[in-house]
Amino acid sequence: MGMGSNRGGSGRVTMSEINVTPMVDVMLVLLIIFMVTAPLIQQGVKVNLPEARAAAVEASDKKLVLSIDAQKRIYIGEAEVPAAELETKLASNAKAQADKELYLHADRDVPYGVVVDVMAAAQRAGITNVGMITDPTTAARAPSSTKGKKEARR
Amino acid sequence: MNAKALLLCLLVSPLAALAQAPVIQISGANFRPLPLALSTPLVQGTESKATTQPVDDALLFDLRASGLFQVLDRASFLADAKEGMTAGSINFSRWADVGAESLVKYSLARDGSELKAEARVFNVGNGREEFKTAQSAPATQPSLLAHKVADAIYRYYTREPSPFLSSITYVRKSGKNKDVWVADWDGRNARQMTSGGINVLPALGPDGVVGYTSYQEGKPDLYVQKGAGLTRLKTNEGQMATGIAFSPDGKRVAYALADGESAQIWVANTEGGGARQLTDTRFGINTSPAWSPDGKRIAFVSNRGGSPQVYVMAADGSGVRRLTFQGNYNQTPSWSPRGDLIAFTARDERNAFDLFTVQVDSGKISRLTQDQGDNEEPSFSPNGRLLIFTSKRAGASQLFVMTAEGNNQMPLPSPKDKAEITTPDWGR
Repeated sequence: MGMGSNRGGSGRVTMSEINVTPMVDVMLVLLIIFMVTAPLIQQGVKVNLPEARAAAVEASDKKLVLSIDAQKRIYIGEAEVPAAELETKLASNAKAQADKELYLHADRDVPYGVVVDVMAAAQRAGITNVGMITDPTTAARAPSSTKGKKEARR
Repeated sequence: MNAKALLLCLLVSPLAALAQAPVIQISGANFRPLPLALSTPLVQGTESKATTQPVDDALLFDLRASGLFQVLDRASFLADAKEGMTAGSINFSRWADVGAESLVKYSLARDGSELKAEARVFNVGNGREEFKTAQSAPATQPSLLAHKVADAIYRYYTREPSPFLSSITYVRKSGKNKDVWVADWDGRNARQMTSGGINVLPALGPDGVVGYTSYQEGKPDLYVQKGAGLTRLKTNEGQMATGIAFSPDGKRVAYALADGESAQIWVANTEGGGARQLTDTRFGINTSPAWSPDGKRIAFVSNRGGSPQVYVMAADGSGVRRLTFQGNYNQTPSWSPRGDLIAFTARDERNAFDLFTVQVDSGKISRLTQDQGDNEEPSFSPNGRLLIFTSKRAGASQLFVMTAEGNNQMPLPSPKDKAEITTPDWGR
């Protein structure tokens, strides 16, 4: 931290800059994130949804769906959008701006970092509510899957 | 209504479905601007590309300023740039995903000296083409083509004529000169009507007649320009005549004639003959006449009650009635072509000028502008839905447009030199 270098010198303590990293985290946390059940969502591209056993809310098929497929390609509805244009596309999108809400429909194999980048872009575009679409049907079977067994053994 | 129900309705009764075609509720508590996407034009041939931008700019401006539509930001569009103009070639879910309820697709093509446009309006919800129009204009007038297309779309949604094919007049200051200009409704295609000196308070009459007050003989006199012919009205010699206003049928003019400490409203024919004095207050000032749409009444400003207020009288001068009672400085009345409202400028307790309307029958006042610099000189559009006015919110006095309720305030495209513009009048 910037303060350390001044210790023991002239006795002056100067704090030259604020470390913004924790603040960015706080800002991202201000997003409201909720789980959404998949069967009602027919929009968007096909992805392998993650399984979740969290209590899910019922989805509205009128909300904007943002998809990330296994190849990390991003889609608004079914239109592919370059990652660099995502924030502009969402900031100018009348539907997203009216609702301040979208559903994130990300493949289970997409790295966490990519999902966070997309969520951060949505947040910068003024969207405060993000619904994570999960698959409740497979979630019910989850304990019998290999992955579930491995995790249970640990 | 969902798509299935609409289909059923179409099968059962095609006529009923036609009767239910959307008519936008223009005003009132239930009004909500229709989210509309205007696609970028499909340009056919290479010649018309240079004229594409002016057409597109003017069309976007008309639709935005109409107050009827929430014209969606093109930066949000998701559709394939090569998408066609027929329902079968359009991916409607991509338009629904940007929030569009209505989609306007249009194409431009050059045909000799003509520029042609075809526009199609689609209902994004059910994927149906609802309306199409083909328009043309000389290639030298791209904004005229845009106004024609916008007018067709406006008429389709409202069953009313649009204001987009009308003209405005205003005064533009240049050095020591003040000149009268006439332009298309949006300020584009401006033509200078006077050449130097002081020319003020212009008004448009029917058939492109322009009247104004000019100091070219040292004192203010009224002039009427009809095509290439310019006539000076024979008002009472020696007196100062100002503020010409054409009656809706274009056969009479009202104006103020000042002599020393008093100014009175007069009415004459358009050559100045048959002049008749309507007001007679010995020391009061009566000025700024504005006709009712039926030509039977005249609104004006008078200080007979101690401060300038808006009054109404019959066109023969009888039945004078004070209309505004709030504030101590109300001026520049404009009578709505719908008859119900008079818009005016008022100076409030903070010495700011703002715009209001007053209901002619009930006297009920509505505020249209606030906390946006000085706003003055309102003039109603020919269909009474919009108001043009001057505002100093961005520095020099410039033209703005808003709805008659004060919503959707937008600047008109301003001249590059930011010259000061005052006293607009919207032709009928």
